[in-house]
Amino acid sequence: MSTLSTILSSDFLLRDALIGSVLVGLICPLVGVYFILRRMIFLGVALPQVSAAGIAFTFMVYRLFVGPHPEAAVGERLLGLIGSGVFTTAATLGLALMEGSSRERIEARIGATYALAAAVTILFLAKDPHGDAEIVGLLKGDILATTSASLSTMSWVFGGVLLVLIACQRQLLLVSFDRDLAIVFGRRVLVWDIILYLLIGAVISLGVMSAGPLATFGFLVIPPLTVRLITGRMLSFMLGSAALGGATAFGGFFCAYRYDLPLAPAEVALASALLLAVGTLTGLRRALQRRQAV
Amino acid sequence: MSAPLLELSDVSLGYRGVAVLSGVSLRIEAGEFVALVGPNGAGKTTLLRGMLGLVPVLAGRVAWGFDRSTSPPGYVPQRDSLDPIFPLTAYEVVLMGTYAALPPLRPIGARRKRLASQCLEQVGLDGLARRPYWELSGGQKQRVLIARALAAEPQILFLDEPTAGVDREAEAAIIALIAAQNRQHGMTVALVSHHLGRIQSEVRSVIVVDDGQVEKLSAADLAARRGDELSPWRRGVDVV
Repeated sequence: MSTLSTILSSDFLLRDALIGSVLVGLICPLVGVYFILRRMIFLGVALPQVSAAGIAFTFMVYRLFVGPHPEAAVGERLLGLIGSGVFTTAATLGLALMEGSSRERIEARIGATYALAAAVTILFLAKDPHGDAEIVGLLKGDILATTSASLSTMSWVFGGVLLVLIACQRQLLLVSFDRDLAIVFGRRVLVWDIILYLLIGAVISLGVMSAGPLATFGFLVIPPLTVRLITGRMLSFMLGSAALGGATAFGGFFCAYRYDLPLAPAEVALASALLLAVGTLTGLRRALQRRQAV
Repeated sequence: MSAPLLELSDVSLGYRGVAVLSGVSLRIEAGEFVALVGPNGAGKTTLLRGMLGLVPVLAGRVAWGFDRSTSPPGYVPQRDSLDPIFPLTAYEVVLMGTYAALPPLRPIGARRKRLASQCLEQVGLDGLARRPYWELSGGQKQRVLIARALAAEPQILFLDEPTAGVDREAEAAIIALIAAQNRQHGMTVALVSHHLGRIQSEVRSVIVVDDGQVEKLSAADLAARRGDELSPWRRGVDVV
């Protein structure tokens, strides 16, 4: 109880980190539902890795051609955000243009993208003559280093993403659910795909910079997978996923603080435990229903 | 002769530049009920999708007798083309039909919600509005998709094998529903079917697709050309 009251107090030292973590937990699942609905879960792994490659690339280029990167946290984060944003946007636009190809071809390309991004991230770091733990820490996602400035950036970007998602929800659903009908209705499906992927790119870039690839992937995919097991309505699927993501982020932060654990693994482990519990209960309920029907 | 609702002039349809159907010329008049029939793989669905703009037109011209941007056609796809992962109720699926004339960022509004409910009622499924779409039977799903197409308030309704995979009773109910739209509301209907026999009493004309050729026959032509004369078209087509 004392840990909880410490965390919730207004003068909590890591208050910005807690808010940032919950924001990532709230927003990632809102775009993650489209990974689930479009059956592109692997994209949730690949894009954070592409984002990480972008961060590593920016640092390597800066060190090689300019010199040591800015030591101040804000400058370093801005540099990383630029690299992350450019790489993720390029990858998502490439994916948007691939829509309409066969599912197998898309999955093969996503797999190849993931492998390439993971490899070049390591190569970029290896080639960075001044590579140090600080950069590695940034790649892993250092939410504890969240400042009021980065929190403000996060709030603006995530707020904008939320507004666009709400405003375009019907069209994004139509294009995702029945692409042919959207075309018959005269919708420019490529434009809507690009809008969706840009939103995904923005969330992932900032998510990876703030919380790291592991937490970002976890929040993109695990809360929607959990909520999908228990809901049959679109609105509750989206809101439930966001709420579960936010609650898991808070719970993970609590566990990490209370038991001195690394934050991202704690959050993902908690989200996975919930998925396992809900999956088990849902499976048992279905088995019981089948037995009663017999 | 009045202006057709849809006219194809020497149209070639295909994928990646390779034509599946070539030199297709036909007209669909307002109020017509036309069936696209032919053997499996003949190109019936390609022709229907080509009319809708879902398959590239490689040559020729597809002309509409009305403004498609303000009044898009109704479309009922093969129900298996939709992914069960989407958590949607029957009502939510029908509501999607009202997006046809809805500008992208405009809220749905009470009129469109009422329209969706009315369309669901029209197909006799208002009692299942809150049920998850994927829990419905094949016939019920098909009726929901017809309700969704009607919610677009179309002048012409396209249906791709609306009775595929449903039992005889559900099939009869679906055909009666479509025929009622044509007879009572004057809606133009174009549907793909394997079983002409089951809809022959309702259709006014038939578009036969076979061996890359497309021929439109009126009900009178069809009656006159029964027997051996129809044999090139009869493989897989249940002409009674």
